[in-house]
Amino acid sequence: MKWSMLVLLMATIMVLGACKKKVQPAPPPPPPPPAAPTASLSANPDTIQKGQSTTLTWQTTNATDVTLGPNKVEANGSATVSPTDSTTFHLVAKGPGGTQDATARVTVTQPPPPPPPPPTVSDEQLFNQNIKDVFFDYDSYDIRADAQSAVQADAQFLQAHPGITFTIEGHCDERGSTEYNLALGDNRANAVKNALVQAGVSADRMKTISYGKEKPFCTESNEQCWQQNRRGHFVYGK
Amino acid sequence: MNKEYRTKIAFSSMMKRTLPILLALLSTISFAQDWIKTGTGLGVEKVRLAVPDFKPVSSDGVTAALNKVFNDTLWLDLSNAGIFDMVSKSFYPLQAPSQPSEVNAEAWANQPPNAGMLAFGNLDAPSQDIVVQGWLVDVKNPTSPPVLAKQYRDKATPDNARIIAHKFADEIIMRLGGGIPGIAETKLYFVSNRTGNKEIWQMDYDGANQKQLTHLSSITLSPRVSPDNSRVAFTEFGKGGVEIGMYSLDLVRMVTFPHYGGTNSSPAWSSDGQHIAFSSSRSGDPEIYIADNDGRNLKRVTAVKGPDVSPTWNPKTNAQIAWVSGRTGLPQIYIMDTDGTNVQRVTDQGYAVSPSWSPNGQFLAFSWTRHYGPGAPGNQDIYIMDIASKQFVQLTHDSGRNDFPTWSPDGRHIAFQSDRNGRWQIYTMLADGTNQADLTKSGENTQPNWSSK
Amino acid sequence: MASTDIYAERDPLSTPLGLSVALHGMLFASILIYGAVIGHTGEGWGGDITGGEAMSANLVSNIPLPRPQVNTDNIVANESKGLTQSPPKAVEEPKPDAIPIPEKTIKKPPKPIISRVTPPKPVEPPPNVVPFGQGGPVSGPYGSFSVPNAKGGFGFTGSGGDFGSRYAWYVRQVQQKVSQNWLQYEIDPNVGNAHRVYITFDIDRSGRPSNVQVEQSSGVPSLDISAVRALQRIDTFGPLPGDYGGSRVSVEFWFDYRR
Repeated sequence: MKWSMLVLLMATIMVLGACKKKVQPAPPPPPPPPAAPTASLSANPDTIQKGQSTTLTWQTTNATDVTLGPNKVEANGSATVSPTDSTTFHLVAKGPGGTQDATARVTVTQPPPPPPPPPTVSDEQLFNQNIKDVFFDYDSYDIRADAQSAVQADAQFLQAHPGITFTIEGHCDERGSTEYNLALGDNRANAVKNALVQAGVSADRMKTISYGKEKPFCTESNEQCWQQNRRGHFVYGK
Repeated sequence: MNKEYRTKIAFSSMMKRTLPILLALLSTISFAQDWIKTGTGLGVEKVRLAVPDFKPVSSDGVTAALNKVFNDTLWLDLSNAGIFDMVSKSFYPLQAPSQPSEVNAEAWANQPPNAGMLAFGNLDAPSQDIVVQGWLVDVKNPTSPPVLAKQYRDKATPDNARIIAHKFADEIIMRLGGGIPGIAETKLYFVSNRTGNKEIWQMDYDGANQKQLTHLSSITLSPRVSPDNSRVAFTEFGKGGVEIGMYSLDLVRMVTFPHYGGTNSSPAWSSDGQHIAFSSSRSGDPEIYIADNDGRNLKRVTAVKGPDVSPTWNPKTNAQIAWVSGRTGLPQIYIMDTDGTNVQRVTDQGYAVSPSWSPNGQFLAFSWTRHYGPGAPGNQDIYIMDIASKQFVQLTHDSGRNDFPTWSPDGRHIAFQSDRNGRWQIYTMLADGTNQADLTKSGENTQPNWSSK
Repeated sequence: MASTDIYAERDPLSTPLGLSVALHGMLFASILIYGAVIGHTGEGWGGDITGGEAMSANLVSNIPLPRPQVNTDNIVANESKGLTQSPPKAVEEPKPDAIPIPEKTIKKPPKPIISRVTPPKPVEPPPNVVPFGQGGPVSGPYGSFSVPNAKGGFGFTGSGGDFGSRYAWYVRQVQQKVSQNWLQYEIDPNVGNAHRVYITFDIDRSGRPSNVQVEQSSGVPSLDISAVRALQRIDTFGPLPGDYGGSRVSVEFWFDYRR
C-alpha cells in the first residue's frame, strides 16, 4: 500500500515539475559596468608579541564604503591595533563598481619566557650584608649622633628594597635587672622603629620585640661586650 | 591540699584541777576582769625554746627513718622562724620526755638549758600510717596547762613526716609569735635554667621539693603566684611575642590568658586576687596597666615616656602600687594610687629596681645600687624602707649582686637572688638581714616569689 | 705567757711597779673609752647607721622580729610570775675605772684586764629600752609622776593564778608585738626627758585589740598618740589561750620614752 502511494507521489511531482518549467527570456544587456574598487591592506609588522601593537595600512580606490572589520573607515588610512591573538583583518571596499576586500594577517606570538635570572644575591643576604644594627649608651634608648648615620643608611636600603619585611630586637647588657632591661630593650626597639618611620620606611614592614638581657651577643664582663649587647638588632623576614 | 589530721588531746584531769582555782578567783572579785600589766623595755628577748628529738614509739627502721626526717624538719622550721632562741641540744637533760607526765620542768627551766618553752612528743608508724603526738609547755610555769597539745596522722611517707613537722612548727610559731601564722608550708616560685631553658619552678620555703612547672622550651621570667595558690602568672616569650603566661597549679598545665601586643611582662596580683597589674608596651612605650584577673577590662595607669615596669601592690589596702620607672634616667622606685594619681618618688639616687611591698603594708624591700656611675662603684644590695618615714636599712653587704627580694607572708623573712658564689642562686634571710642561706644549687636560679599562704 | 720574772715580788720594785700597772690600767681605760664612745662602727640594730647621707635605722624596731638581746645585767628579764620585778638593780655599764688595778697583788698579769675589754661589743642598747626594766609602779630615776597602784581588776603582781602567771608566754608576745609596732620617730624630736604614758585596751578571744584608751597621759601629746597608733597597727595578738575561761583580757600597757 505505501509503495504505491510513494510512486504516485513521485510521478505527480515529476509531472508538476515538468509542467512548470519555462524557458526564461534572455536578460536585458547589463549597463556598462562602473570601475571596480580596489583595496589593499597591510600590517606592519605582521608578527608581534602579545602586548605589542602593529599598524594596519590600507588603500582603496573607487570605493564609497570602506569598512575594516566592523568599523567604517576612510578610503585610505592607517590604524594601530594590539590584538591579543593572531587575527586576520578584513578590509571591505564597496563601490558602485563592486566590492573588493583585502586581508592582512597579524600573527601574535606569546612573549618568550623570561630569561632565568642571573645568579644574584638573595634579598636576605643583601639585608644581612647591608643593614647596620643601632647601638645605644648605657641605660639609654636615645639614638646617638653616630647611630643616626646607621639609621639613615638602613632607611635607604629598605626603601630600595620595598619587599623586605623585618623585626627589630631590643637588647641590653647584663648589668641591669631582668625586668627593667626587658622594658628598656622595648624602648630601644621602638626608638629604632620610629627613626626608620621618620626616614620614610613604612611602619607595617617592621615588628619590634624586646629580649632584655636574655639573648646576649657576648658574655664577657667588660665595656666592649656590654656595648655590643646594647643594641637594636635587625632580623630579616618574620 | 593536705588534709589536717589533728585532734586536741583533752586534759580533763588538769582542767579539773584548775577550774576550782578559777572559780575561787572569780568569786572573790565582782565585775572581775583579767588584767595584764606590762610595758616597753621589759626584756624583749626571744623565747628560749628547747626541742628535744621526738621519741620513736617502736624501734624498727621505718619509724626511725621517719622520725629523723620529722625531727630534722621540726628543728629547722623552728630555728628558721626568727623568733626563738633555740636552746642547744648539748644542754638538754639526758631523758627526753615523750609524754607530759615525763616532763621534769625544773630540769629544763634551770641552767644549763634555762629554757622558757619546751616542745616534745613521740612518733609512731603503725601499719602504713604515721602518728605524731606533740606538746608545747611553759617550763617556767609548769602548773599552767600546756600551750599546745596536738596529734597528727597520715600515710607513712617521708614527705608526710616533713609536712607534719611543718604543721606542728607552724602551730608553735603562731602561738608564741603573736598570732602570725608560720611559713613552714609556704612555697617559693622561681626561674631556673637548669634544663637548658629558663622555666618556672616551685619549691618549699626551705628549698626542699624543687620541681619544674612549665615545659615551654623558650624563655620564661617573673613568676607570681595568685593569692589563692591556684595559678602562677609569668612573662612568656611565645610565638606571638612577649605576653603574660598563666600556669594552673590546680590543672597542672598552661591555661589561656589574653594577648595584648607589644612586650607584656612582670605581672603582679592584688592581695584579694581580683586584679593583675603588669607592664605593657602595646602603646609603643612600656606603661603600667591593671586588668581583672582574667585579663579583661584593661586600664592604663601610667602615661609618661620611659620604661615603666615591675609593679607591686600594697597588700593591706590594694589601693596603691609601687613600681620602677626610668622616666628621669636611671630606674627609680615610685608609688601611686591605683588610678594613677598621687605619684611619689621613693628613691632619690642610684639604680633602684624590684620593689616588693611587705605584708603589713609598711615597708618596701628592693634592690638598690646607691652610688652609681663610673668612679663611684656601688654594690647592688637589698634594702628595706619604711614608706612613711623614708628611713631605710641595708640588708646585704659585700656579697656579690643581690636582687629581686620577696617578702614571706609573716613579714619576718625575705628571699632574694644573689650571685655571691659566682652564679645566681636563691637565698633566704630574716628581715633584719641575718641568717642568710642559699636554697638552690643547680644551674642558675632567679626571681623568687613567696606564696602568701 | 708572761715571764714570771717580771712579776716576782721584790720590795724595792713595788712602788714603781704599782705606778707602772696604774699607767697600764689608764691606758686600757682610754682604749675602752675610745671603743665605747668613738669607735662604734658597723650597723647595730636600733642604732644609727652612720656614713654618707644614710638615714638612721629606727625602722628596724618595727620588723616583726624580736630585738637582739641587750647586754645589760637586767635581772628583771624573768619570765616567771608574770612581770613582777624585784626592786630595780642599778645596771653597771662596764665603766673604765671599774677595771681593778691590782695594787699589791702584783702576780696578776694584765691579761684579765684585756679580757674585760671584749664584752662591751658595739651593740648599743636600742634607744628606748629602759635599762632598769621598770615594771609596776614607777619609782625609777625619771619618774616625776606617781601612778596609782593596780588599776582595776586584780593586779598582776603575784596574784597567783591570774592570767599573767598562767600565760606568761601570751603576755610576753603582747609586749613584744606592741613594742615592735611602736614607731618612735612619730614622737616630737624635741622631747628631752624621759616620759611614760599608760594605755589600756582589751583583747578578745580571737586576739584582736579594742577599746584603746590613754589612761594616764605622759604630758607629751606626740608620745601619747604614737602609743595609740602602735595599738592601731596590730590586727591580732593571736587567739587567747584555748583553756582560758574568760571572754577577754584587759591590758594596761606603759610606754617608756627616753631620748
